[in-house]
Amino acid sequence: MTEISLRLAVSFAQILAEMSIVMVTVATMTYFERKILGWMQDRMGPMEVGPYGLLQPVADGIKLFFKEDIIPAGANRAMFKLAPVLTMVIAMIGFAVIPFGPDVSMTMFGMTIKPFVVADINIGVLYILAIASIGAYGIILGGWASNSKYSLLGGLRSAAQVISYELNVGLAIVGVLLLAGTLSLVQITEAQAGGFWHWFIWGGRPDGFFPIHTQIFAFVVFVISAVAETNRIPFDLPEAESELVAGFFTEYSGMRFAFYVTAEYANMLLVSCVAASLFLGGWNAPYPGTILEYIGLEQLAWIEHIAWFTVKVYFFLFLFIWLRATLPRLRYDQLMRFGWKVMLPIALGNIVITALTLYFFPR
Amino acid sequence: MTFKAWIKTITLYDLLVGMKTTMSHMLHYKPITLQYPHEKRILPDNYRGMLALLRYEDGVEKCVGCDLCEAACPSRVIRVVSAEVPDEPTKRYAKEYYMDMTRCLFCGLCVDACPVDALGMTREFEWSVYDKRQLHLNKEQLLAIGDRSFPVREKQLELQHPNVAFFNVAFKHLPQKPG
Repeated sequence: MTEISLRLAVSFAQILAEMSIVMVTVATMTYFERKILGWMQDRMGPMEVGPYGLLQPVADGIKLFFKEDIIPAGANRAMFKLAPVLTMVIAMIGFAVIPFGPDVSMTMFGMTIKPFVVADINIGVLYILAIASIGAYGIILGGWASNSKYSLLGGLRSAAQVISYELNVGLAIVGVLLLAGTLSLVQITEAQAGGFWHWFIWGGRPDGFFPIHTQIFAFVVFVISAVAETNRIPFDLPEAESELVAGFFTEYSGMRFAFYVTAEYANMLLVSCVAASLFLGGWNAPYPGTILEYIGLEQLAWIEHIAWFTVKVYFFLFLFIWLRATLPRLRYDQLMRFGWKVMLPIALGNIVITALTLYFFPR
Repeated sequence: MTFKAWIKTITLYDLLVGMKTTMSHMLHYKPITLQYPHEKRILPDNYRGMLALLRYEDGVEKCVGCDLCEAACPSRVIRVVSAEVPDEPTKRYAKEYYMDMTRCLFCGLCVDACPVDALGMTREFEWSVYDKRQLHLNKEQLLAIGDRSFPVREKQLELQHPNVAFFNVAFKHLPQKPG
């Protein structure tokens, strides 16, 4: 076996592992979303399939897999088939740069492997922003290719919404980039090591100075814009059930529909991972070091790191569901006004203030 | 905008109040759902369910074939064919009695109209069928419903309720409201 094929094999193994983690998380998310939504609305959620409805995601998957695949008569067939695949692929490859665990390297087959991040590239944040922007194409193409007025309206709304809020996401991240001085997600996470007040949401300096570099405004802007970017309630205008049937995927059925839904949940997971890495310290515990290190188990410290990352990501995922259970949908003009006249000035002001405080009180 | 309102706006106060409400509903989880096929709700005392023909204590049909129920019915559910009782020219009975339950709106007017209390409303409601023709009931089927819904035929005056449109009804074999 040559070295290049060995490298490919290792990369494929990593990608496979990461993909399966994401898919399993998406499946559990669909279950817990319905459960938590039910609990918050005094209902029970799925109860019939398996104990407490635990097998509901499996049943949904099997049902969607065996459903008839309908392509509308007037649809652009190539585009119609391409759009869900594009959305799904884009949602999946974003996870390549997310560091799930600490930045350790191990040597296997004579090469260095980073087990907890598929690709530690030095422009990780930029990569995620670029990938998320391409994701809008899947929605717009799907809406246009269906040849249906509801789909088209959903796609157009999605285009306007994603572009408006993409800007705020990008600008909210700039403050973090100023603090970390790097675009690599691994290094941004490492810069937040040392405990709760060193996370970029508080922005405490390594010497324990008053957290003057706080990014809490950027954090709020990022989370709100992330909800808008993933087309979730209260920003779910592209798939507004009461107005547009199902929005851009009205005409989709069977596996293509499942692709869109999976992509939506994968996008939620992606922005949760990004928010956890950028603002809440990623895999860093809210105390310096790890407990397993203190009791002399340095080799197993990665378990604690991954556990903290999981806790943070699931906090965001719960927040998404919580918002969905609470808030009604915004009107279109409210959405645009909120994005351009409230979120954008806050994000811009945050950049100016962060830059000034960094100039006068360097880290 | 006052200062207080401004503070409320920038701290997302209204949003947090709403999220507190949903969270408290989740923490004090008390679902109002009944898992229907597995558990059934307790019906109210004057529940108007499936119609049934009743019998006297000795097993004789109460119906005298007077057609008043047919006249009272607003949806023309009932059709009665009256006839003399053989060998007893002064007595009449319903030779045929049909109910088209696809049209019934369970108003209970036929039960009110009956002068001999031959009609009753049972508590049966699980009458969904695959074939609509199964809801065209004849006299034997209606009597069977009455027999299985009111197995105790003696009068139980303590159970009579002014809102119940029929007497001679025993609820003992049905789930009762607690208290």
